[in-house]
Amino acid sequence: MNMIEKILARASGQKAVEPGDVVVANVDCLLLHDLSGYLTGRVFDKEVRRPMRYPERVVMIFDHHFCPPTEEGALVLEENRAFARRHRINLFDCGNGNTHHVAFWNGFSRPGTVIVGSDSHTPIHGTVGCFATGIGNDSHAGTVMPFGKAWFRVPETIQVRLSGTHKAGVTPRDAALWLTAQIGEGGAIYKSLEFCGPYIEQLGFWDRWLFPHIVVDLGAKCGYIEPDEKTLSVVRTVTDKPFDVVHGDADRKFEATWEWDFSALEPQVACPPTVGNVRTVGEVAGAHVQWAELGGHGGGRLEDFRMAAQILKGRHVHRDTRFNLVPSSRAVFTQAVREGLVEMLHEAGGTWFPPSTGSNQAYNMGAMTANESMISTHARNFPGRNGNPEAKMYLASALTVAASAVAGKIADPRSFL
Amino acid sequence: MQARGRCWKFGDNIPTDRIVRSDLIFRPWPEILQHVLETCNPEFPKKVQAGDIVVAGKHFGQSSGRAIAAKAMKNTKVGCIIAESFARTFYRNGFEIGMPILECPGITDQVSDGDVLSVDIESGTIVNETTGRELKAKPTPPFLLDMLKAGGLIAMADRLAGEA
Ligand code: SF4
Repeated sequence: MNMIEKILARASGQKAVEPGDVVVANVDCLLLHDLSGYLTGRVFDKEVRRPMRYPERVVMIFDHHFCPPTEEGALVLEENRAFARRHRINLFDCGNGNTHHVAFWNGFSRPGTVIVGSDSHTPIHGTVGCFATGIGNDSHAGTVMPFGKAWFRVPETIQVRLSGTHKAGVTPRDAALWLTAQIGEGGAIYKSLEFCGPYIEQLGFWDRWLFPHIVVDLGAKCGYIEPDEKTLSVVRTVTDKPFDVVHGDADRKFEATWEWDFSALEPQVACPPTVGNVRTVGEVAGAHVQWAELGGHGGGRLEDFRMAAQILKGRHVHRDTRFNLVPSSRAVFTQAVREGLVEMLHEAGGTWFPPSTGSNQAYNMGAMTANESMISTHARNFPGRNGNPEAKMYLASALTVAASAVAGKIADPRSFL
Repeated sequence: MQARGRCWKFGDNIPTDRIVRSDLIFRPWPEILQHVLETCNPEFPKKVQAGDIVVAGKHFGQSSGRAIAAKAMKNTKVGCIIAESFARTFYRNGFEIGMPILECPGITDQVSDGDVLSVDIESGTIVNETTGRELKAKPTPPFLLDMLKAGGLIAMADRLAGEA
């Protein structure tokens, strides 16, 4: 069996499982954010009406609002807080950061566990070597909250073997964007993706994070990286709770093995209207952007601010562009302060925002008119997520976003390094 | 479980953000329903009738995992959604809230917007009454048919958790 099959077998009390089996498994952690938590809470209180069996396993994080701009938003948060208090679940209020980063930094994602969330990017936790997937409000409210369980169909697994080293100016985010286009939106529906190979092995933890991040938009159920010493040493810094590391068998079988090499890769940009519409930066360079933003699950990492600093050293943000800086967690912001990145990027014309999900879906910020465009490290660019459905969202690496902030239009970061 | 009605045809990769705009998710249902899929076809929210059938291309319902998109489709009272393939969260949510869903590779070549379709959910038989053609959807796993018959996941939750 591979890692996911072993985790699901253990969590459902079976010796072995196979792809296609439907299992009912114990869930170790349920992640909710302020939007999904509200919808789930309503279903739980109104339709399910049972006690919360394992409140300590349920985590709610307010990340779409760092400070509600409307009464409607304030009411949502008020109801969420009351729900959290009533059922004694964990709550991280406004200003803590982005759901998945906050969950990680507070020790909720541990190797070998089963993690579910309404947030579709929940598979990102597969980076630590757990089974993590997004499921809907009714599963959370109907079976996870009252029974600590959820049903899963055991997915078929595809091995994604990656190799190569990047040229200067090209980053793991470029690789992840490019891979999204290669596999295609919906190119791995219902599958589990095992990311491995020399490329993955040499990446640091937070760069590995960018790969399970993309699986949802490929249609996959989960993505994971087998935990090695690098991963475990990072996990040990955030939790002292015990966990059982699970590894796949050496003779595990895959439905397919896909291989890619990134050595020749150029900087990439995912263009509207979908995440799979990926071009090289040269093809879209020159398109004007009124907004540039580092933030979201795929950005707002310390690595992203360090990259921006490389570009902005001795330069200034263009006068027609606003550069939003949104740390993914308080821990990242603290470290950015220590490294002098906060002052440096502020002086260069960037604007710091509280740790949150930033302009994702424009609950906090980030609404645009039909004439505006943004380039960001966000996860998604579908129309209707940032104000007017005609507004354009481009997705790129922190280097490309920062270079575009300086140029006022999409720019190749290699001419700034 | 049967459905019969006008076919509304949509393309590939329709995200949940276009089913329910993300700025509307906390609004009352009548307001949400006025905008369902409007950026794909402005006629749809105005003219959809109970029993109509939505046909879509690949990876329908991608993006958010929130069940609200599936609930919105159910609240339009469409009888069934048939797609070449679904985003897995949408597929899962559909059954969990009791919205009949069929996966039928090749369907988009066989039906046109406005055709009248009749569908038998359990057997997966789809008849295009306008052209007279018959199609077969992929079989639905018995576990999910069971859920659909129970009226959704919450109705069968204790049975599922082994605590009935
Ligand atoms: S894109 Fe937004 S809603 Fe989706 S997972 Fe990321 S922060 Fe959450």
